[in-house]
Amino acid sequence: MSYRQRGGPLAGVRVLAVAKVWAGPYAAKLLAQLGAEVIKVESASALDEMRAYGGVDIEHAPYFLSQNTEALSVRVNLKSAEGIAQLKKMIAVSDIVLDNLRPGALDKLGLSYEAMKAIRPDIIHVSIKMYGSDGPLGYQTGYAPSFAAIGGLTSLVGHEGKVPRGMNIRYGDTTAGAAAAFGAIAALHHRERTGEGQQVDLSAVEAISGLVGDSLFAFGLTGEPPVHRGNTHDELSPHGFFPTRNNGWISIACDGDEEWRALADELGLAEPADDPRFTTHESRCLNRSALEAELGRLTKALDGSDLARRLRARGVAAWPAASSLDLMSEDLFWSNGTFRMVINGNGDARPVVGSSWRIEPDGAELERGAPTLGEHDEYVYRELLGLDEDEYAALKASGAIS
Amino acid sequence: MSALSGITIIETAERVCGEWAGRLLADFGAEVIKLEQPGGSPTRRYGPHVDGKGAVFAYCNTNKKSVVVDLEAESGRAMLARLLGRADALIDDHDPQWCKHLGLAPANLSERFPRLVHCQITPFGQHAPEDHHRAWPINVAAAGGWAWHTPSESDPADPPLMGAGRFMPDYESGLDAAMATAASLLRQRRTGEGQFIDLSEVAVQISRADVVLGRVLAGDDEPSRSRRRYDMGGPGDVFACADGFVHLVMMTSAQWQGLKDIMGNPAWAEQFPQDWLEFHCTPERVASFRQQFRPWIASQRRDDVTVAAQAKCVPLAPVNAAPDLIANEQYRHRGHFQSLGGANYPTAAYRMTASPVRLASTAPAPDADRDEVLP
Repeated sequence: MSYRQRGGPLAGVRVLAVAKVWAGPYAAKLLAQLGAEVIKVESASALDEMRAYGGVDIEHAPYFLSQNTEALSVRVNLKSAEGIAQLKKMIAVSDIVLDNLRPGALDKLGLSYEAMKAIRPDIIHVSIKMYGSDGPLGYQTGYAPSFAAIGGLTSLVGHEGKVPRGMNIRYGDTTAGAAAAFGAIAALHHRERTGEGQQVDLSAVEAISGLVGDSLFAFGLTGEPPVHRGNTHDELSPHGFFPTRNNGWISIACDGDEEWRALADELGLAEPADDPRFTTHESRCLNRSALEAELGRLTKALDGSDLARRLRARGVAAWPAASSLDLMSEDLFWSNGTFRMVINGNGDARPVVGSSWRIEPDGAELERGAPTLGEHDEYVYRELLGLDEDEYAALKASGAIS
Repeated sequence: MSALSGITIIETAERVCGEWAGRLLADFGAEVIKLEQPGGSPTRRYGPHVDGKGAVFAYCNTNKKSVVVDLEAESGRAMLARLLGRADALIDDHDPQWCKHLGLAPANLSERFPRLVHCQITPFGQHAPEDHHRAWPINVAAAGGWAWHTPSESDPADPPLMGAGRFMPDYESGLDAAMATAASLLRQRRTGEGQFIDLSEVAVQISRADVVLGRVLAGDDEPSRSRRRYDMGGPGDVFACADGFVHLVMMTSAQWQGLKDIMGNPAWAEQFPQDWLEFHCTPERVASFRQQFRPWIASQRRDDVTVAAQAKCVPLAPVNAAPDLIANEQYRHRGHFQSLGGANYPTAAYRMTASPVRLASTAPAPDADRDEVLP
């Protein structure tokens, strides 16, 4: 049974998401984008904070609406014993339980992985915690920038000679969520082969370390601690961001002398081939500051988009750094589903960020946006759990559904 | 037995994004056969090189097999066709022109191998204009918006930043590619049918910003050319402490109280309304906080102050470097690093009770597995 036949590679997979804020709901969204039925467990007394950010109307909360594409919402009051009993019944009819509550929070509700396994032996429990679910530092909590700092990302992002200030403060939750979603799918494979469920215990901090893994690995080999180096790339030169007209910046990466000569020619750099400072990759790396200053002097007066097009036509990879205005003005993203329209549970049409992939044939339909609180109570309690009218009414009256 | 054992994947990828996708699937026991062109994968050139081996290739290609195949030659393409005939999936990261030239265009492959899951990674997806099909990670970070907004509170005079190291967008793309491929392989188990996955590297970058950019798309937040459009506006930042750096982020009055407590409730902190983070978080107040917080945090030792902060639920975190992570007790507890062939490999972020990730073999030499793969 499913609420709606949407197709997609994970059609028939049901995910019970006891998940809040960003990393957990993002993992759930990726699974929904692949066709899974995601049921979000909510309660008026313990809302996903995203329903509260940016306003007072929980059905028009910008963050929440930006994220919960194709999620179903069921109200379960986890503070009531009857609510917990219902949640257990939901676990019994789910393939995956996704949880990013604080470490130990589900255990306190009597819903440890062992307890879930007793309810459904082949359940897949995906736990998303900052530092994993146990161990000496497993009690610690934090936000995305904390993951980035602890996981080794922040120390490797910065302008040369300045304090490394890391990626933008928003970076990190979604990377952790994506790693969790991938682990969940691997667990589905294992269950398909063997019939066995398992716990997927994700450390958001380690997911971040996965973005700097080659640097960590290289440190083990060479003993030289990696440091932040701006936009330097040892194998490409020039390589970096260069100023363009109206405070713009263009990314340019040259692979080899031929591309370098094309770049120099397109910019009208005087006799580039004859300047011994810049003739070879080695000399360009050695004289990097002089090279970057020279190029910046020339790019500064030019229009970034136009220059990027001209350089690409000459075989040099170049793109302007896109602002939020640039991103939302890009026709390609609207035409290929990177941005798409959905209809929210509240009835409004809303553009949202879509998936990074298109799948053919049988990609998952993505038409519904975020649900209203409890929009799918009826489906979950009456159809999935099979409660009759009276039982359902009694749960509402007792506050178990609230 | 691992989650993907019994599944065979052909990898014709020659960039880090495709190789990373292959590695993530090989982590779970899929047989990943890497086809290298004569001369070896271009990623073998990325340093540092130790004993003649490039570290990036060594890291991204564990658990894989290698066969060198000249795809420009008729015989090489015939061999690839034989391999695809018995494979479950193909991972590639070349441009559509290259694929067409070698008979690897999606329509062609789905017709010849209807059971095959074909994942194609390109900078902007298959339907992008011709000049959009070749981009380096820095271009992907630029086109996807994160570079423009990094770091937070960017100074307009400083260039945007592409992220950590040389390949960060590649790891993100590889993760989404592996995820979509694994999902499609699950469907293949159930239906016996293949699919084509058209993965856009720039769309991965955009997806990672969903709630930030989504509000802009919907008009809740104004689109703009500001470098600070993704910022949060709070006091969050990196601060120097006595023996390194820490990152502080604070959003609630409870966290503010916790911080005041560990600072010993200094007089200056009483100038701030208790709920300033929620309701009175002006740029002036943020600046004033930072100015007065800096001398105090500069006198604190990183590990002590961050543990004290955790006890008060204040998200003050150590800014770790590589040596910190190797020594980190939690990483040790979870076995994040795995030793193989005398080297220390960072592994997966997901510990799994039944089908854990396991590194069984180091990255292959070019053509190391010819005899086994092509008997």
